[in-house]
Parts: sequence; C-alpha cells; structure tokens
Amino acid sequence: MKRRSLLKLGIASGVVLAVAGGSLALLKPGLLADGKLSPAARQLMRAVALAVFDGLLPAEAAAREARLAAHLDQLDANIAGFPPHLRGELSQLLSLLTSSGGRFTLTGLTSDWASASVADVQASLQAMSLSSLGLKQQIYHALRDLSSLVFFSNAASWQLVGYPGPREIP
Amino acid sequence: MSSIVDPIKEGLARGWKVLGGKHGPLPTSLDCDVVIVGSGAGAGITAELLAKAGLKIAIVEEGPLKSSSDFRQLEADAYAQLYQEGGGRKTADQAMPVLQGRCVGGSTTVNWAGAFRTPEETLNYWVDIYGLKECGAEAMKPWFEQVEARLNISEWLTDPNANNSVLRRGALKLGIKAPTIHRNVKGCWNLGSCGLGCPTNAKQSMLVTTIPTALDLGATLMVQTRADKLELKGNQISGLLCQPVHADGSHAGPAFRITAKHYVVAGGAINSPALMMRSGLPNPNDLLGRRTFLHPTVASSAVMPEPVQGWAGAPLAVFSDHFLRTQPIDGAIGYKLETAPVHPGFAMTNLGGMGRTLVDKAKTFPHTSILIGLLRDGFHPEAGGGVVELKNDGSPVLDYPINGYLLDGARRAHLSMVEIQFAAGAKSVRPAHEQAQDYQSWHQAREAILALPYEPYITTIGSAHVMGGCAMAATPAQGVVQPDGQHWQVANLSVHDGSVFPTSIGANPQLTVYAQAARMATGLAKRLTERDVRLDSPAVPASAASAA
Repeated sequence: MKRRSLLKLGIASGVVLAVAGGSLALLKPGLLADGKLSPAARQLMRAVALAVFDGLLPAEAAAREARLAAHLDQLDANIAGFPPHLRGELSQLLSLLTSSGGRFTLTGLTSDWASASVADVQASLQAMSLSSLGLKQQIYHALRDLSSLVFFSNAASWQLVGYPGPREIP
Repeated sequence: MSSIVDPIKEGLARGWKVLGGKHGPLPTSLDCDVVIVGSGAGAGITAELLAKAGLKIAIVEEGPLKSSSDFRQLEADAYAQLYQEGGGRKTADQAMPVLQGRCVGGSTTVNWAGAFRTPEETLNYWVDIYGLKECGAEAMKPWFEQVEARLNISEWLTDPNANNSVLRRGALKLGIKAPTIHRNVKGCWNLGSCGLGCPTNAKQSMLVTTIPTALDLGATLMVQTRADKLELKGNQISGLLCQPVHADGSHAGPAFRITAKHYVVAGGAINSPALMMRSGLPNPNDLLGRRTFLHPTVASSAVMPEPVQGWAGAPLAVFSDHFLRTQPIDGAIGYKLETAPVHPGFAMTNLGGMGRTLVDKAKTFPHTSILIGLLRDGFHPEAGGGVVELKNDGSPVLDYPINGYLLDGARRAHLSMVEIQFAAGAKSVRPAHEQAQDYQSWHQAREAILALPYEPYITTIGSAHVMGGCAMAATPAQGVVQPDGQHWQVANLSVHDGSVFPTSIGANPQLTVYAQAARMATGLAKRLTERDVRLDSPAVPASAASAA
C-alpha cells in the first residue's frame, strides 16, 4: 500500500520534476504572501471548478464568470483560515501542479490549466481518482473536496440542491 | 436581533476572567493551583469539579470563544471557525478527514448530541485486558448517573426526522433493533444544526454548562492560547509554556509561562499526546500517541420517494448496535449504524463525484437519506489504530493506515446499510465509493458491492471520533496513565480526556469522556484538597475554600 503524505511532497516534487526535466528552484509558490491563490493557482482552481461543477454553473457567460469569481474568492477566504503548515503544504502542491512538468506528470494534462477543456480536466481528475498511485488520489481529493465544500457551503449554491437555508430564529 | 439570550455574553458582562484573542491581553506569567489544557468534554467536567473544590484554576484553550450569538447555522462559518485546522485536519496519508472541535467547549460545541453510556462489552474488555477494575459497568454506573443529571441527558422523545426514520423503518423491517438515542439537550428546537454550534444553547455542551460554572467560581479562561510545552524537572512538571495564537493558529505575541501545583492535560486525542511528545516526557514503553482510534466511518446515500430534508431535525435520533452485538468483539470488525446530517457542503463533499454525478445528486438532494457505519477499531491485532507524529513545526498529524481488515468492515457495513435503505423503500442507493453507481434494487446493489474493489481512497472513509493515544491501564507496561488519570512517570500530571481510552468504544464518546473525567477529577480534588465534590452539588463555600 502506498502511504505517502502531502508532507512528503517536498521529496516527491523533486522526483517528479527530475523526471519532467525541471527544477524546484524554478517553482513559484501556489499561494501568495498574503495567503491568497497565485494567479496561476487561481487558473487551476477555476479549471477544477468548471470540471467538477459542470452542469451546475450558470449557463449565461457573465453569470458563470461571476459565480466562479465568487467561488475563487471564497476559496481564498477558506484557505486563509487554515493553519500555516496546511497553507504551506497546499502552496507547495499548487506550485507543483501549476508547473508544466508537475501538471503533466501528476495529472496527465498536456495543455495548461487555462486552456484545458472541461472534458480534458474531467478525464484527468477521473483518472487520478482511480489511480493506483496514492499520491494522485490524494491530489484528486485535495482539489475536489476543498472545491466542493466551499462551493456547496455557499448560499449561492443552495437552490441547486433545494436547501432552503437554516431555519430562522425569531 | 435574536430572542436567544447568550449566556456567554452575560457571563463576560458579569466579569468572567477571560483573556486572549479579543478578550484582553494575556499575562506574562500566571500561577494557579491547577492548569487545565483544553476546554472540551474532559476539561469542562474537570474544571467544574476542581473549581467547586475551591482550587484556583486556569483553563488554556487554543480555539476562540464563540457562543450562541456567533452560531449562524452556516457551514461556511462553522467548519473554518470551530474545527481543528480550519476543518482541514486529515490523517497523514490524507485518506480520512478528522473532525474535532477547536473552540471553547471543544468537540462538545460541535458534536451531534448523541449521548451513550460506554457499551458494557467495551468496559468488560477494559477490565479484562487493561486491568481497569474501576471501569466495570457497575463501578461506572454512579458516574454516568451523575453526569446525565448534570447535562440533562435523556431519551429523545420528539419524533425522529425523516432521515432517522429511514434507519428505523428499514431496520425494523429486517428484524434489526433500532432504538432511540439519548441526547444532552434542554429545550431543543430540533433545528438540526448541532454540528455548526447550537444557536439556542439547548445542547448542554461544556460551553454552556461546566465552563460557565467554573468561570463563575473564579477560574481564568485563556483562549486562542496554545499549550506548547510542559517543562519537566526531575519527575515533576515545573511549568507550562503557552503560545498566544491568531484564529488561524499562527503566533500572536510572546509566549508566557503558567505554573501550577498540578497539570491536567485534556486537549483531546491527537492533541494531548502531541503536547506530551513535544515536551519530551518519559515514555519508557513507547505507548504515547500509539493506538489512537477514529471509529473509521463509511456512508451510504439513498434517494427516497418521500422528501427527507435531512438538514432539518435532530441529526442523530435512532441507532443500531445490531452489527456490534452479533459477533465477538475481537473478531471481524463490528460497526454501529447511525445517520448523518444532510447539509449541502458536508453531504455533497463526502458523497463524492463530479459533473454528471453531482448534478444528479443535487436534483435528488431533498430526498436524500444518509446512513453511516462506524467501525469499532482497537479490539483486534489488525485494528491497532494510528500513531500521532509531530511535524517540523510541532503540530501533530495522525498516521492511520487503512488496511484490509478495516476495508472488509467497510464492505460489510455498506451491505447492511444498503439493505436497510432498500427495506425502507429507497428508489436507489449508492454507497460512498468512487466506483459505486446508483443501484435500483437490493439484489443489484449486493452483487455490485461484492464485486467492487475495496481499497484506500476509492472507498470513501471518514472518521467519527478521536480516542486513545494516552491509554490508561493498571500497569505502566500497558498504559501512559494510571486508572485515576495520573501519569505513570510524572508526579503532578494527569490526563482527563478521550485519549485515555485503551480502545475505541463502539459508541459516540462524549458521555464516556464526561464520566471518566468526573471519576478522575473527583479523585484529584480529593487528593489535592481533601474535599468531596459532585457535579450535582453546589461548590464548597468560599470560606471553607479559602482555608485550603
């Protein structure tokens, strides 16, 4: 059984990059100094949202973009509540996944996150979720579960699931 | 403006000594009789009893002080504000989320208010294997009674919500007992928001019961304060180094030192052993942090013909111990069946899937019933639990590998839950497994589940309750602490929380923690003050106390 933790990504990322012909020194952190998603990580999480919530986002382009922007802002807010060590691990993971070598090795995506199609990202996430490599399954869950919790906890999504919101207390 | 009176705001206005966070600067040093680390189930009971004995106590809590006026029943607030690691705590290999409270009241502030006495077969096992004669069912009975009276624990007489009715109806149809749960509530509004912090103060958590009593008796509560290190001198603790922290756990000012005659660690499993590991306390038998249990939990969702609206109403009202009782405790792993609240963030995330699958789940969400199966770990060589480890920054992580023994239990629990859901009239059922589908009949589901690969990650496994890691036992070879909670090697240190359980218990643990803490703290009060204290009697008069 593969029991690798995200903690060990430091080592894993070195291996991945060596395979992919990159270098750790060239990686940019996935989270900015203020804890928010870097522009590249924001693209990544946007692509994940488009894939995971395909069919649940507004059909109209402007409304969809607004919902996505709100979702990404809420992700920032959630991540800001994580303890520093967890933010560090997430930053490292996002950094790796936004490098072309890391993205290809870990997700199999050939095009970058901004230009990958919804179908490609879905296929890639699906393959990761069933991978025999524990590390890929961990990454699938890290991306998918965080996105899902934030998306469905947001009141803007409640009508999608028929949830009326909490009962009011007079 | 809510009509609900916030007892915490009232207490603060009365002059409670609460420091840290927005409540005023922490001291540079502090001296007291007893310092208690944590403010959850074990800490709360201990705080009330020791304060009633007239002892000057200080309570150190890493999380914030939040109360009914802050509890808005919103998932978007609650997980980030009230749970460990902003709701993001997971086992080392990320396979299982770990839900633990991190706020005043600890997990009792966010639990689902199920109150079970420790199952008799668990207590018998503790007596037989760990020599804990103090924990036999007869010996524990008065402690349960005392705690039940203090926290208003009684059978839930309101009709179960539709989600719990599915469990009851299906189980009865199959000839399986599904009794009603006992809950620690007073004037419950049946909102269903227990896990998000009770907005009406009905849940008798430590936040609204024992901690206020201790504060009224003059205790000092330090919030957003992490117990960083116990200082060891010879076989005595000489001080507790504390680190003020921001809401996200980052440092918020200079560390300070608390000195006390006695130190009670009650930060909950994972955190309590981690504090003792950071402190380099003696651990001659390499037991500290080991045998940490989770009640690994699997789930099955069903689409019912009737509206379920599983977000509304007491989340836990009905349970079944059938699959704990029909096989030996140390044989194939047994499991307890319960229900889970069906809130959008929690349910849509834990049931898995994306795209088309999520669209379908969203459509049927108001008709969705969720059953959960809690695996009883700790009674078999293949169910030894996890090990607490420290990261570079000193924060803990639980390494808990999921093995074939547990996965066999996951499959059997899926089968039981799916059969019950179909017996209750489900239109379709889907166990939480990455490769499962919506099944339309029990026969189809059974064939499919028997053929599914049960492997880590693709089998969705959560965790329900964190226990163990500082086991109590009659000999130091088997335990970190003695049966009375006293550390085996360190003279003035006790552990009073769920980390003392030598196994998991096969039931929601709050009442077990309360009762064990009551037993231990009553004994500690007697040792330190010669006084007899009870949860259901008033404090020793101040004049007598000051003469101590």
